[in-house]
Amino acid sequence: MALEDICNFKDKPTHKTFPFYASEDTSVSVFTEAFNFKWRGEMTSKKASDVPLEFHVPSLFKRPSSRASHSVSVRRPFPLSHGTTTLGFIFQGGVIAAADTRASAGGLVACPAVHKITPIHSHLVVTSSGSGADCMLWERILTREIRLYQLRHKRRLSISGTAKLLSLMLHPFKGTDVCVALTLCGWDKLIYVCSDGARLQGDIFSVGSGSPYAYGVLDRSLSWSLNKEEAILLAREAVFRATHRDAYSGNNVDLFHVTAEGWRQRQREDLKEEYYRDMEKRGLLGFSNWFTHLFLEE
Amino acid sequence: MRQGVVYINTNFSSVSGFDAERDSMRTCLLSPLPSLPFVSSQPVPLPFPMAHGTTTLAFVFQGGVLAAADTRSSCSGLVACPASQKILPIHSHLVGTTSGTSADCALWKRILSRELRLYQLRNGRRLSTSGAAKLLSHMLHPFKGTELCVAATLCGWDDHTSLSGPSLFYVCSDGSRLQGTLFSVGSGSPYAYSILDQGVQWGLTVAEATSIAREAVYRATHRDAYSGNCVDVYHVTSQGWTRRTREDLKEEYYREKESRRQTHEAEKKML
Repeated sequence: MALEDICNFKDKPTHKTFPFYASEDTSVSVFTEAFNFKWRGEMTSKKASDVPLEFHVPSLFKRPSSRASHSVSVRRPFPLSHGTTTLGFIFQGGVIAAADTRASAGGLVACPAVHKITPIHSHLVVTSSGSGADCMLWERILTREIRLYQLRHKRRLSISGTAKLLSLMLHPFKGTDVCVALTLCGWDKLIYVCSDGARLQGDIFSVGSGSPYAYGVLDRSLSWSLNKEEAILLAREAVFRATHRDAYSGNNVDLFHVTAEGWRQRQREDLKEEYYRDMEKRGLLGFSNWFTHLFLEE
Repeated sequence: MRQGVVYINTNFSSVSGFDAERDSMRTCLLSPLPSLPFVSSQPVPLPFPMAHGTTTLAFVFQGGVLAAADTRSSCSGLVACPASQKILPIHSHLVGTTSGTSADCALWKRILSRELRLYQLRNGRRLSTSGAAKLLSHMLHPFKGTELCVAATLCGWDDHTSLSGPSLFYVCSDGSRLQGTLFSVGSGSPYAYSILDQGVQWGLTVAEATSIAREAVYRATHRDAYSGNCVDVYHVTSQGWTRRTREDLKEEYYREKESRRQTHEAEKKML
């Protein structure tokens, strides 16, 4: 698709409607010229650099207000669940992004070793939460758009611009089942974008079913003046506590550290080791449960 | 007993040995029959949407049982009462934290207190925490499936039983009855759980345990909209329960903000 843009190749669209309504003929896939981005300073024109973003919108696309008489609803193969723990925070040494690695589908651990943190470019990393498939797709779309912007304009789009772009791209799907909650982690900024339409900048974000557990730990110990090791330990601890209590988070922890020089990834760590270390530290390793303390006291 | 208080058909003959008692206790039923919740009545719509926002926690350690809770009663978006009591003493060596519908919790605590007192008078000894939890659970069982919502943790100290010492049980109107060493209940409980998991151990001193409990409630009230205002801390030992003065968490928030600001200033000066 990127090559298509560079070569200015445009397929003939069959419909040119926006906003999109489910057409009567549901078997035809429809292009939308939904986005004709007018970058600042450029007027409407058909210059080569002004190629609109085009989407293949599947014919089964349903909007809540659609009046299609025979729209086929696809039954979910398994219950979707948005279980995860991802977090990101800013401190004096840059930005830390951390996440667990469990992908769950209802009660099943579909994959215990998923990458929930993806680099977009050398100075931007995105943590994903929500539906795994949607997140992977939108990360790729975002990466493509950022790269195209860089090629066209010979400079990188800022993090705020990236967030705005993503938010606008997700907007037509608001009200559908697309579920994407991404935290864009740049070297000095943290922006949360979600498919409901929210776009928030902040110092600390945690997303997912395990996020309350992580928030408790982070709120307690986070400060601006942490050094790098302390910040990494804090992020690991927060994800560990969340995976301990939340059933939908677990397995390993991924950690990225983004600075002005770029991102660096820490080696993935199995939290099982961390659990045993914690139990040992609290003196519980030799005992099956705490009640033996009560027995021993007498 | 006042009119209008709900009685249920409890069978104490096996516990107390009084068969005649059973008949006299079968008083007028405003409550459901054991088999069928409501006797052919239209469901009454709720006057306002009820919400179960709270943060309560309790844990066992070498110094007894510590229970802490916030004091905000919320009703969807309204703070109905900023100074409510979520930890209710049941008797001298047993307190219960409440979560769920506050009306239901207050009522059932009173019923439980009454039943435990009657047991004590009949048998000359207090019922253990485990027994109290079982009693409460069985009393709540006929209401399973209705809109009754009670999630309580009973924190007590048992004497004269085979397993004496601190004891903690979680009882809820769904029917669960769980023994444990650490529980946190309510909408703010995840925030509290992570703090408690970090710090709670058997060997804590009373001061350390109190500080962890306060901090856990504070963090939960910071993040959860339905928890807030003040924090209550109760400590149950072999001598009975004692209560710490209620503290407004607003002070804690400003203290922390100030200390963070000061360390930030100090760091900046050092650079």
